[in-house]
Amino acid sequence: MTRAAFSYDFPHRHLISVADLNPVDIRIIFERAARWLAVNRTPEKSSDALKGLTVLNLFFEASTRTQGSFEMAGKRLGADVVNFAVAHSSASKGESLSDTARTLAAMQPDIMVVRHSATGAPRFLAERTGLAVVNAGDGMHEHPTQALLDSFTLAQHWGEVGGKRILIVGDILHSRVARSNIGLLNILGAEIRLCAPPTLLPSDVDQWGCDVFHDLDEALKDCDAVMALRQQKERMSGGFVPSEREFFHLFGLTHERLEACSPDVLVMHPGPMNRGTEIHTKLADDPEKSVILEQVESGVAVRMAVLELIGETIRRDFTSREAAR
Amino acid sequence: MSETSLAIVNARLVDPASGHDGPGGVLIEDGVIVQTGTEIDVDAADEVVDAQGRILAPALVDLRCAKEPALTPDGETLDTLTAGAAAGGFGTIVLAPNDRAPLDKADGFAGMNRGLAHKGVNVLSACGATQGLAGQQMAEIGLMVRGGAVYAGQGDRPIADTRTMRRLLAYTSQFDIWLSVRPADADLSDGTVALESDWSARMGLPAEPAISERIAIERDAALAELSGGKLMIDRLSTAYGLEALRHARTRDQEIAATVAVAHLTLNEVDGGGLDSAFRMDPPLRSEADRRALVQAVIDGEIDAVVTDHRPTPFDDKGEPFALAIAGTMSLETALGAMLGLVHDGQIELIDALRVMTSGPADLLGLPQGRIAAGAPADLILIDGDRPWVCDPEDFRSARGNCAWAGRRFQGRVLQTLVGGVTIYNHKA
Repeated sequence: MTRAAFSYDFPHRHLISVADLNPVDIRIIFERAARWLAVNRTPEKSSDALKGLTVLNLFFEASTRTQGSFEMAGKRLGADVVNFAVAHSSASKGESLSDTARTLAAMQPDIMVVRHSATGAPRFLAERTGLAVVNAGDGMHEHPTQALLDSFTLAQHWGEVGGKRILIVGDILHSRVARSNIGLLNILGAEIRLCAPPTLLPSDVDQWGCDVFHDLDEALKDCDAVMALRQQKERMSGGFVPSEREFFHLFGLTHERLEACSPDVLVMHPGPMNRGTEIHTKLADDPEKSVILEQVESGVAVRMAVLELIGETIRRDFTSREAAR
Repeated sequence: MSETSLAIVNARLVDPASGHDGPGGVLIEDGVIVQTGTEIDVDAADEVVDAQGRILAPALVDLRCAKEPALTPDGETLDTLTAGAAAGGFGTIVLAPNDRAPLDKADGFAGMNRGLAHKGVNVLSACGATQGLAGQQMAEIGLMVRGGAVYAGQGDRPIADTRTMRRLLAYTSQFDIWLSVRPADADLSDGTVALESDWSARMGLPAEPAISERIAIERDAALAELSGGKLMIDRLSTAYGLEALRHARTRDQEIAATVAVAHLTLNEVDGGGLDSAFRMDPPLRSEADRRALVQAVIDGEIDAVVTDHRPTPFDDKGEPFALAIAGTMSLETALGAMLGLVHDGQIELIDALRVMTSGPADLLGLPQGRIAAGAPADLILIDGDRPWVCDPEDFRSARGNCAWAGRRFQGRVLQTLVGGVTIYNHKA
């Protein structure tokens, strides 16, 4: 049955966790994103979907690609986009997050895109300010737009992500990308595999609806896609893993190792890459297998879709509040 | 590997793996045992040895010994080490990391391991668990396991940092190898040279309370349970430690425990004269501890007895007790010392041999350490009664630091075979 039969509107004002989404929400996001993906390839990229709305990029952690991707998405939709460089502002002067939030809310922005090193900060801001909040990464918790763009990229190749076997390899313990992807891929019905040294896996990971491996060759068997995670260099010098080279020998992706996978296997990476640690440089650049740059392109389209849908919710809520008055 | 066949008949065949202690013999073909029992087909053999009732046992397996760093002047080399091992009845030995040779570098590890082969005695190597055995950052354990390391160890250094210990147990679990760690609370044991006791108090020695071992075992067992790692308690030495081991095993955990031959056969009174030869790490314990350990061997609670063979320059033992470097040589004396317990009626021969043959072999999954069809023909022939006096001058080693120097032993190895080849023959 189609969506129209239910006349279902995307109901969310926030995107804080992938767990808030149902399969229909995800399909709506992907349909919009596919449209924007096509538009973004034309010289007529500008739209006025968010005209009149203000998007505030509030990044408490340094970011170039995610912040740039959100900024581009907001601008192409015609929103006023303001980047707030938090590292140089009130937070460093000892102001609490709550006070910062209320100050910014008083400026009447509409959507806050938030990245913060603490789990739960985006939800905290949503509750304190009443603004629409998009989580652009909170601590080791979630990075929902990254998971959406990853699945969207795969869906562009396959049509459906459900039923496919997808391996996530690397530092799962500290990865918000992994947590969001596991959540989303479970909703979409994919078969998820995880592979990492035990020091880089959460201790209850066997209860996350995934198959867990420590041997990469075993894990790669018949996979349709492999997602390498970025390895933090400071965790590669004896605390969690003895060295970068040992990690590469045990868990690094190479062409030889991928021979165990499906012949059409897709290789993904959320970036930025450490070539020679988690992925062989030749594999990263192989246009037959690597969809790493497609992920970046999908990122703008997916973020446009999310911002547009949230913008629609904001307008709808405003209209119904006015009508009730 | 010998290409001929050899029969050894008319022996007292002692095979702890099968629990057999009685008349028997073996038939060996191409380095492998093909038949055991009393009905050996001697016509099939090119050569027949009449054991004349002497003891035929699996060649011994040692999980913990050391040579000295290459190029040490007058040092114990691989050649002297293996010659001593063969004379002591060992068919397989494992080089374990220690401060002087931490075995913590993956570069060249595989090559070194290949160089250990073909010395008659099977020489295996463990690897250091942390860089420089400092207990802080992991060594490249995965690369060294690929290079042939059979377990990861820490020498005499306990791991002080609980989080590091947790991560090491977790990390090693993916390779299904043992993490072998000395059970001692780092702060309680730091700088000590003796057991905290009436004797050490009177002597004014910096001493370690026996509960240091219990605290460490309880911590490490709890971490092993959390992380799924395989914990090997490296040289259990106290009754308190045994209690902690028993407690951990009630939780159905896979924990291995070794005991050094010194702690089964000597106590702190042996070092009462402050002879530097008795400076050990862990220190020698009380007689009650020693008796508890012997009983634990009998009860099957100890998986392996290790020699903890540690050659040191005479100069290092030339310091007074409190300053002397720890350790004793014991490859050539381990069996004699253990047979001493047998002759004293403290333990049965088969129990003493179990922890020196199938026990350690099973921990590493080795085919050695048993007398069974299909097993490698690694065997020893022992004269269980022959008296001899331990004289370090007679050692094959270049070194002579030995806590058993001057001891009278009863029973010694007459012949050692590895892969069916005789690598030691006692000329008496």
